[in-house]
Amino acid sequence: MSSHGHRTIRMFNVLHISCLEDVHTSVSWAAERPLLSVHIFTPEIRNVAGRKYLSLWREITGSTLVTMSKRRSLTEAQCVSLAQKLLRERLCHQKLPDRPLALDSQYKHLLELLRRTAVHGESNSVLIVGPRGSGKTMLLGCVLRELMSLKEAQKNVLLVELNGLLQTDDKIALKEITRQLHLENVVGDKVFGSFAENLAFLLEALKKGDKSSSRPVVFVLDEFDLFAHHKNQTLLYNLLDVSQSAQTPVAVLGLTCRLDVLELLEKRVKSRFSHRQIHLFSSLSFAQYVDAVRSQLSLPPDFPDPKFSDAWNHSVTKLCEEKSVEEILRRHFNSSKDFRSLHSLLFLSVSRVSVSHSTLHEADLLEASRLISADSKAIILHGLSILELCLIIAMKHLNDTYDGEPFNFQMVHNEFKKFIQRKSHSIHKFEKPVVMKAFEHLLQLELVRPVDSGVCKVQREYQLMRLMLEHGQVMEALQRYPQCPTDVKQWALSAFA
Amino acid sequence: MSRYITRLRMRRTYKWNGRPVGEDRKLKRKYYESMSISVEGKTEDATVSSGQYILIEGDDDDNPFVAQLHKLYTDDSGKKKTAVVQWFVRMCEVPQNKRKLLGRDPHPQEIFFYQDRSCDNEVDGETILGAVQTAPATPRTPRHATPSIPSRSAPARKPGNVLEEARARLHVSSVPESLPCREQEFQDIYNFVESKVIDGTGGCMYISGVPGTGKTATVHEVVRSLQQSAEQDEIPHFHFIEINGMKMTDPHQAYVQILQKLTDQKATPDHAAALLEKRFSAPAPKKETTVLLVDELDLLWTRKQNVMYNLFDWPTRRNARLVVLTIANTMDLPERIMINRVASRLGLTRMSFQPYTFKQLQQIITSRLNRVKAFEEDALQLVSRKVAALSGDARRCLDICRRATEICEHSGSQKNGSGLVGMSHVMEALDEMFSSSYIAAIRCASVQEQLFLRAVIAEFRRLGLEEATFQQVFVQHQALCRVEGLQPVSVSEGLAVCQRLGSCRLLLLEGSRLDLFLRIRLNVSQDDVLYALKAD
Repeated sequence: MSSHGHRTIRMFNVLHISCLEDVHTSVSWAAERPLLSVHIFTPEIRNVAGRKYLSLWREITGSTLVTMSKRRSLTEAQCVSLAQKLLRERLCHQKLPDRPLALDSQYKHLLELLRRTAVHGESNSVLIVGPRGSGKTMLLGCVLRELMSLKEAQKNVLLVELNGLLQTDDKIALKEITRQLHLENVVGDKVFGSFAENLAFLLEALKKGDKSSSRPVVFVLDEFDLFAHHKNQTLLYNLLDVSQSAQTPVAVLGLTCRLDVLELLEKRVKSRFSHRQIHLFSSLSFAQYVDAVRSQLSLPPDFPDPKFSDAWNHSVTKLCEEKSVEEILRRHFNSSKDFRSLHSLLFLSVSRVSVSHSTLHEADLLEASRLISADSKAIILHGLSILELCLIIAMKHLNDTYDGEPFNFQMVHNEFKKFIQRKSHSIHKFEKPVVMKAFEHLLQLELVRPVDSGVCKVQREYQLMRLMLEHGQVMEALQRYPQCPTDVKQWALSAFA
Repeated sequence: MSRYITRLRMRRTYKWNGRPVGEDRKLKRKYYESMSISVEGKTEDATVSSGQYILIEGDDDDNPFVAQLHKLYTDDSGKKKTAVVQWFVRMCEVPQNKRKLLGRDPHPQEIFFYQDRSCDNEVDGETILGAVQTAPATPRTPRHATPSIPSRSAPARKPGNVLEEARARLHVSSVPESLPCREQEFQDIYNFVESKVIDGTGGCMYISGVPGTGKTATVHEVVRSLQQSAEQDEIPHFHFIEINGMKMTDPHQAYVQILQKLTDQKATPDHAAALLEKRFSAPAPKKETTVLLVDELDLLWTRKQNVMYNLFDWPTRRNARLVVLTIANTMDLPERIMINRVASRLGLTRMSFQPYTFKQLQQIITSRLNRVKAFEEDALQLVSRKVAALSGDARRCLDICRRATEICEHSGSQKNGSGLVGMSHVMEALDEMFSSSYIAAIRCASVQEQLFLRAVIAEFRRLGLEEATFQQVFVQHQALCRVEGLQPVSVSEGLAVCQRLGSCRLLLLEGSRLDLFLRIRLNVSQDDVLYALKAD
């Protein structure tokens, strides 16, 4: 247990135990100290192992009362921070959910497949395809968790996890496989031998195994499509070849978001792949989406302070029924159905909860949604000076006049000068170098970009540029710009320059 | 060299332990296994025996020399005790300019093997101070590691019912009792290899065919039956080795692998090539014929083509007795990638495996199932016809059947009393494997993603091109949003939608740094997109 944990105890006379390992250390520690109560926050502590520890506790600490949280309620501040901690864990994907949401058939299919590999020693290969944030890794995590809880699979399955972003070529991937399998050419954490030797060694090892007596190996290839770009697709060919021959049983699981992934495979590699694909397309309706939001925000029934959690859950239910909240959620749902983007919205709103503000309000969601859907360039525009803004407007007019053709600084300057001449009273007359400096600032912000990035001998004033802003973005920024001179606004609105 | 000894030397007495273990009559020496040293004032004796690391009196008492004791002997008189040792040195004894060769920082107590003939390795036994414990400092490179996968705690479960049995038999990996539908090819290859083995000559054969037509399996079958007849002494014995272009990291590794499989020798590619060259050119009357299978030949291509050249040149040597069977996918590989002198050495003995017809596929499945009744007749025919029409790949056919048994197992509980795999199961399996996922992906996309796709098509039509920039599409997108009564999205959101479609390759995006001027193309046909969106 951390020293921090001990300090808490002294203050509240309450011992918080948040994971099973803590219990063990704290039992002996607490034996010498009288404590009032124990709060246990893990779900697993409620099962057999937990009860065992509790009885052990009672034995050691004698008459000390051991309660499961009801004896002494938490303070409000504790409740809030605990609820936030729980929700944050959930929304940041630090904990796997108990069961993947709306992916039942895929879950069954994958579990059955891996179970057969683990129990029967049947080799398989499968691709899990779905857009980013659709829950591929989560699904796999849940399936592997259940697989490892099976008695027959537990000590038999070897797991090798690779990621296309980390193992960028076969040489690195092979070393990683060898390391994770603890083959005999590994000492400590070092893999010996050259690339060729490692490949030969691994293939030899896999070849020596057989269906009924070797431990099955589950290969997880995250970002599967990147492995297809490796030279000759050697790794894929060999893994898939093993999966189709009487060698060590293997399951090759590929995770990818590319629908055209099979087209990336070479003919002979493709032929060795079983063509099993599990698609994760979300067919969620809006009602289900709102339900998911509610359950994601609700506190679990084993929350230590039932009064607080009841109030919280009630407020969440109320919140989800509100019209404006529904509108926000609808907007998000329309934009993307995946849970990852939903979680980032909910995360921002949950972060706004504090002791003085202990339930989620509509305003929190509204603010979070505003933050998430804000246009990044519009925010930059708000920070510009009036001169820079004028230049942007001049460029917008040039774009309108020349139908999006590139322009140069001189043209922008001319346009700006014309405006100044007309409205000399409203805006200061800037020297050309000053205007140039402002223009260069826009260039640095990448609101303006040179057409060809190549080295050009053209003078700076005449280098061709493009405006990286949409018409609408400029107009919106002007509307929101604090104390924007009316003349400038009108200039922007006028159809002619 | 006399030294002034400042500290009082402790008195030590040395005694042999046990009887001599050996005797050298010529040199009049008697060898002992160990020796005990008793020190004045200490109750316990120290014992040193050969093989142990020992400390030997050095220049100063704080840093005695370290050595490994090899032998202990006494001379004729039995008085003088001598030890034969292997010296070790400390870092401080290593010359300054050689220390950096280690390449790392040494441990303060680390010792190094000292190999120098000039240093006498026989010392007076009475200078030994005692034994010392040593521990290996760095992990040693495993040179003789055996490649193996740990074995499981309990054997794998055997198939329990008809469907499981069928599934096990249909797995591509299960080796069938016989290879149906390749009788002619089998016979041709068999005759070719057999004649070469009997005559003791060499030759090359090129086998081509699309993946999954049984090329490698047939060659293995041929070799298996030839080996059987060799065991019955019908034909001379031969040596079979196999390499695969995909199972090596570099074409030149072919030499290494051949040499290793032939002689169990390890060598660098160049050295291996030289050794093989020598082996195949040198006359050896009693040499066995070697049958070499080279799978995925096209991977052995190098710019100078010397690997291929050697592989095809060796069989033509008089004493080589080498038969090379090469396998690749394309029929015209020799014409396409080989230079003349290589292609000419490959010769004209070629064979191509045609894709399986639907009847052959059906026969393959039936023979594999071997009277395990799990499929309806119609269902088998459907699979075979479908696969034959698409690729004729037997692997695909088997995988579909295997998947169909799974589907049957899941739906079996509800209906269909027969328990056999029927048409509907096979249809479902075929659908899963062959149907394009693009349409499903579009149907399940979010509203904005669907709108964006429509905007892309609208912009393509307006431009009359198949490519547009993000800015152009975005304007269309905004307009469509208004038509649909949705709140228009910001540029950032629009770009996010576009990137999502790009990441699953419904759209092809080019130049992601271009921001608004990102170039967009469709990766699906416009008709497919419209079809998917209309059915909604």
